[in-house]
Amino acid sequence: MLEIKNLYASVDGKDILKGINLTVNAGEVHAIMGPNGAGKSTLSNVLAGRDGYEITQGEVIYKGDNLLELKAEERAQRGIFLAFQYPVEIPGVSNVYLLKAALNAVRTYQGLEELDAIDFLSLVREKMQLVKMDEEFLYRGVNEGFSGGEKKRNEILQMALLEPSLAILDETDSGLDIDALKTVSDGVNELRSKERSIVMITHYQRLLDYIVPDFVHVLSDGKIVKSGDKELSKELELKGYSWLHSEGPAA
Amino acid sequence: MKKFTELVTPFASVAEDENLPGQDLSWLKTMRDKALTQFNEYGLPSKKVENWKYTSLWELTQQSFNHQALAVTVSQQECQGIALLDDAYRVVIIDGVFDAELSQLDNLQVGVTIRPFSQSLDTVEQQLGQQVSMDKVGLTALNTLLMKEGVMVHVSAKTMVKKPIELLVIQSGTTDNLATHLRNMIMLDHDATATVVEHYVGLSDLSCFTNVVSEVVLADNAELFHYKLQKESKNAIHIATLAAKQAAGSQWHTNNISLGAKLVRNDVHSLLEGEKSHTTMDGLYLLNDAQHIDNHTRIDHLVPNTTSNELYKGVLDDKSHGVFNGKVIVHKDAQKTDSKEYNHNLLLSRDCEIDTKPEMEIYADDVKCGHGSTVGQLDKDQLFFLRARGLDEVSARSLLTHAFAVEVLDRIPNDTIRKAMSIVIEQQLPTGER
Repeated sequence: MLEIKNLYASVDGKDILKGINLTVNAGEVHAIMGPNGAGKSTLSNVLAGRDGYEITQGEVIYKGDNLLELKAEERAQRGIFLAFQYPVEIPGVSNVYLLKAALNAVRTYQGLEELDAIDFLSLVREKMQLVKMDEEFLYRGVNEGFSGGEKKRNEILQMALLEPSLAILDETDSGLDIDALKTVSDGVNELRSKERSIVMITHYQRLLDYIVPDFVHVLSDGKIVKSGDKELSKELELKGYSWLHSEGPAA
Repeated sequence: MKKFTELVTPFASVAEDENLPGQDLSWLKTMRDKALTQFNEYGLPSKKVENWKYTSLWELTQQSFNHQALAVTVSQQECQGIALLDDAYRVVIIDGVFDAELSQLDNLQVGVTIRPFSQSLDTVEQQLGQQVSMDKVGLTALNTLLMKEGVMVHVSAKTMVKKPIELLVIQSGTTDNLATHLRNMIMLDHDATATVVEHYVGLSDLSCFTNVVSEVVLADNAELFHYKLQKESKNAIHIATLAAKQAAGSQWHTNNISLGAKLVRNDVHSLLEGEKSHTTMDGLYLLNDAQHIDNHTRIDHLVPNTTSNELYKGVLDDKSHGVFNGKVIVHKDAQKTDSKEYNHNLLLSRDCEIDTKPEMEIYADDVKCGHGSTVGQLDKDQLFFLRARGLDEVSARSLLTHAFAVEVLDRIPNDTIRKAMSIVIEQQLPTGER
C-alpha cells in the first residue's frame, strides 16, 4: 500500500524528516508515536500533500505510484485521507455541501456516477450513526462553532463516507474527553478492514487502548528510532520518551 | 482636457433641445432651471472633493455622449430571459425609453400605482427632489436637468403588494456612448409593504453612461424591501444616487449588488427621521479586470430609538479597485441608537486595491454602535483542507469565495429573490485563477 523510503523533508531550510523508512501493507494499523517536535505532523502533511515542505531526498510509493508527484487533491481522489489535528472552520460552506463535493470528487476519479440527492442523504445518515452525530450538523457551516469533539467526529464521518484506502489520523485523540475518545475510536474500528490501512499519529498510549495497532513506531528527531508491537507503546508510557535517549538510538 | 464650461454647455444644450417630459409644468421648469444653475456652479465633482478622493470622473469629460437612442427592439422572449424574476410587476426601459409592450403592468393590485416616470410627473410634485440634494455635487443636478424616464411606484396605506416590482433597465448596445438620466420615485404610504428590484443590464460591451437617482419615501410603519442588481456593459460608467426618508416605525432593507460596468459610483443615504425606524443597508461588489467601484453610504440617525445595520462585502480580483466609505451619523437627539456597520473585503490578486473607511460620528451619549472593516485573502488552511478532501484547486477557491460572499445574500429574506440573485452571483464570481 504505502512505502516510504529514506524520506528527508525540510521547512524553510530546516530539516525535519531525516531519513524515514516505513512500509504499510493493506489492512495494517500502524501507530507512530513520538515527543513534540519529532516530525509527526510534518510526516502526515507531507503524505497528504500540503504546500511548504521541501523533499530533499527519498521517495514515497503509494499503490505503485510516486506519491510525491501528485497534488493534494489527486492523492485524496486516489484514496488517501488525512484526518486533521486541527480541522478548520469554514463558515458559508455547509457540511452537507462539503461531504457531497468530496464524495463526488472521489467517485468521479473512480469512474462512478455522482450520487443523486436521495441516495447521498441516506448514505450520509447511515454514516452519521457510526459517529453518533445529529443530522443538524449537516446543515451548519463546516466545523463552524463545533466543539473539539464534534470536529473530530466530523473528520471520522468524512472518512467513513469517503472509504479511503489509506487513512492518516493526525492526533485524532487530542482534545477529546473519554466519551468522545470512545465514540471516535469505535468509528475508526468499524472502518478497519483487510483492504484499508491506517496510520495513527499520537503522543499518548491512551488512544492505542481503543484502537489497537498492529505495529508501533517511535519517531524521534525525524527518524524512526524503534519499532515493535503494541507492547512498545506501553513500555513508552511507563518510561517516557527520554528512555529512548538514555538507551541510545536503536541504530 | 476639456474645460469645465465646454463640458457644461453640451449638457445644457441637450436640455434645450431635448423633448424632456413635463415642460408644461411650471414647478418642474423652476426645478430644472435651478438644476442648471447648480450644475453650472459645481459641475462634475473632482478628486479634490474629499468624498471623491479615490474616484475620477475625468473620463466623462473626454467623450461626448448621445442623448437620443437609435430605435431598437428586444423580443418578449429575450426580455423574459434577462429579467430577474418571472412572477413580478415589471417596468421595462430600453436605452432610456419606456417599453409598454414588454412591461407587465396589467391587473395591478388595488392600491398600487406603477407608472413610467414620464407619465407620472403630475403626481410627484410634493416629493420629487426632497430626498436628495443638488448642492455641491453636480451629478444630481445633472440628473434633475435631464431626467426623462424611470419608474414611479406608489403604494397606498395598509396595502401589502403581493408581487415584487422589477424595474428592468436594459442597455441594448445599439447606440454608442448613450447617456441616460433616470429618476425613480418609490413612495409607500403608512403601513404599506412592497418589494422593489432595480435591475440594470447591458447586452453588449459598448460604452455608455447611466446616471440614476432613486428616491424612497416611507411613511409611518411602511416597509420596503429594496434590491439593486447592476450588470451593465463592462465599458459602462454607472453613477447612482439612492436616498430614503423614513418616518416613524418604517423599515428600509436595501441590498446593492454590483457586478458590471467599468466605473461605478453608488451614493446610498438613509435619513431616519421617525422614532423606531430602521435601515438595513447591505451591498456586495464582485470586481475583476480593471473595474472600479466606489460605494459611499451614509445613515443619519436623527431621533431617538432608531436602528441601522450595514454590511458591505467585496471580492476583488485582477487590477480592480474598490472604495468603501460608510458614514453613520448619530445626531444629538438620537439617544438609544443601535447601529452596526461593517465592510469586509477578499482580495484575490496582488494587483487589486481596496480603500475602506467605515466612519461613525456620534453626538448622543446613550447609544450602542459598532463598526469595522477587514481586508483579507483566501485562507491557506481552508484551501488545503478542501484539497485534501479531493476538491481541485479551482473548485476549492471558488467555493471559499462563494462562502465569503454568500453572507450578504443570506440576509435577503425573500427566498425567490435570494435564489435568483445566487444564480447570478455564481456565474460572476471571480476565481482568482493564477
